[in-house]
Amino acid sequence: MTAAPHPGSAAPPPPPAGNRVVAQGVSKSFGSLVAVSEVSFALGPGITALLGPNGAGKSTLLRVLCGLSIPTTGTVTVVGGNPRVDPAARSQIGLVPQQDGIFERDLVGDFVRMAAVLSNVPNPDNAVAEALDSVQLDPKLDRPLGTYSKGMRQRAKIAAALVHDPLVLFLDEPLNGLDPKQRRSMTTLFHDLGEAGRTVVVSSHVLDEVERFGSNVLVIARGRLAAQGDFRAIRALMNDQPLRFKIDCTETRQVAAALIANDVASGVRIHGDKIELTTTNASEFRSAVAPLCQSLGARLHEMTPLDEDLESVFRYLVA
Amino acid sequence: MVLQFFAIYRLVLRHQITRGRALLVAAISAGGILIGAAVLRNVSDPTDAAVNFVFVLGLGLTIPVVSLMLGSRAMGEWYDDETLVYVWLRPVPRSIIALAAIAAALSISIPANLVPMVATVLAAGETGGGVLTGTMAATTLVTIPYTAVFVVLGITVKRPLAFGLIYVFIWEFFISRGAEGAARLSINSYGSTILSNATGIPLTFADRAEWATTAIPAAVTIIAIVLGTLRLQRMEVA
Repeated sequence: MTAAPHPGSAAPPPPPAGNRVVAQGVSKSFGSLVAVSEVSFALGPGITALLGPNGAGKSTLLRVLCGLSIPTTGTVTVVGGNPRVDPAARSQIGLVPQQDGIFERDLVGDFVRMAAVLSNVPNPDNAVAEALDSVQLDPKLDRPLGTYSKGMRQRAKIAAALVHDPLVLFLDEPLNGLDPKQRRSMTTLFHDLGEAGRTVVVSSHVLDEVERFGSNVLVIARGRLAAQGDFRAIRALMNDQPLRFKIDCTETRQVAAALIANDVASGVRIHGDKIELTTTNASEFRSAVAPLCQSLGARLHEMTPLDEDLESVFRYLVA
Repeated sequence: MVLQFFAIYRLVLRHQITRGRALLVAAISAGGILIGAAVLRNVSDPTDAAVNFVFVLGLGLTIPVVSLMLGSRAMGEWYDDETLVYVWLRPVPRSIIALAAIAAALSISIPANLVPMVATVLAAGETGGGVLTGTMAATTLVTIPYTAVFVVLGITVKRPLAFGLIYVFIWEFFISRGAEGAARLSINSYGSTILSNATGIPLTFADRAEWATTAIPAAVTIIAIVLGTLRLQRMEVA
């Protein structure tokens, strides 16, 4: 392990940038069911959240990206190779699968060590110690994995995915079963790996969780790629969904009338001393509202976007 | 690759040796000893009876069944509980995975089959005239291809035990013992030939050429390794 989360270790040279995960026209069908349809994207270093409702095709897409599943059409490359046939590409992949299955009779040290040996890690004992330390598991635990809580098993799976210090990490619902403290700790770990130049793809259907991973998202809906990029930028591009804002100010009636008269807002509603409004041009609205209040002698206390959060973006995209 | 081989070999061994399987093997051994002691000692020609016991119940039934139970679980367990991903996704040649799994399964299935067969022969008091060496050679020589085939079956079908039992009972136990042509395509006829040649006791369709008694089981084992490798290359992993 040479990634950032290990304090005290010498700073490693940054891994090469560029697109590490490339999907081109990837589809995956099971009989007549199309689980993933014509998905294309490219991911470089950093953390990306793979977002979508249950059954959207996230896990299927992750399996195709890892080479575990054969795409019906299209191609996948990871660090320049096809992970299905290229061991060099597979050696750069760390996967935390969604399923609970784990070698239940193994001790955690055996499980992670086997992952290190199979990945040709030169000094497996050190790598195992570092990987277990990064997920806060005691390497001396002498109970088999089958007796672990779900959270501990999940952390063992994360340690096995990290032990060979891969350039690309695919994490399928990695926070399942973790308590709030562990969730914070693992979120920080994933962030640090992204900051250290790893390509981290985190799949989740829990929006709060995804928002903590960062703003870069891949949104999958009904097997299709609905959007990719910074979710705030995606929201700004949704011209068919007027942005909603709330303004807390004095002279609400005059301000509301002026917003409509100046074409800054397309609709307004007054709730006591607050105005709720819709606009199709957020940047024009943001730059116009303060001078407008000033010209009317009104005091502007607060201006809050109501549907720029990830949940709203997600709702609009998958609706 | 050597380290990878042994990592997978040890993993299979750790998961193969369970209390249930140990009890099963112990029960089969105990059954063999009891039958050997109770039945074979009271017959007029105990050598002939011991050889026929190994031929009918051993080579025809218990050896393929024990090989099936152990072989099909070697990788089949990973296939069923979706843990294969932890081995498959690593940069390990597929042939090494197949080879290590078959080697580990054999490390258990050979003693698991040898112990009850040898125990039965010993219990019958028949160790001379090539009975013991013939039993050991025949048991080992059929256990190897059976186990290799069943390891591959474990990652090929969803219910390997059911498919394997159908194959063992219908093909190996009945059809191959009733027709010369079918016997040539049955693994146990090669073991039967070794047993018959070692003891001089004629057994049904145990007249394969001497070279074939080792070449055919070896070829079946190699084909199983190749098929296992191809299956691992082409399979969808959950």
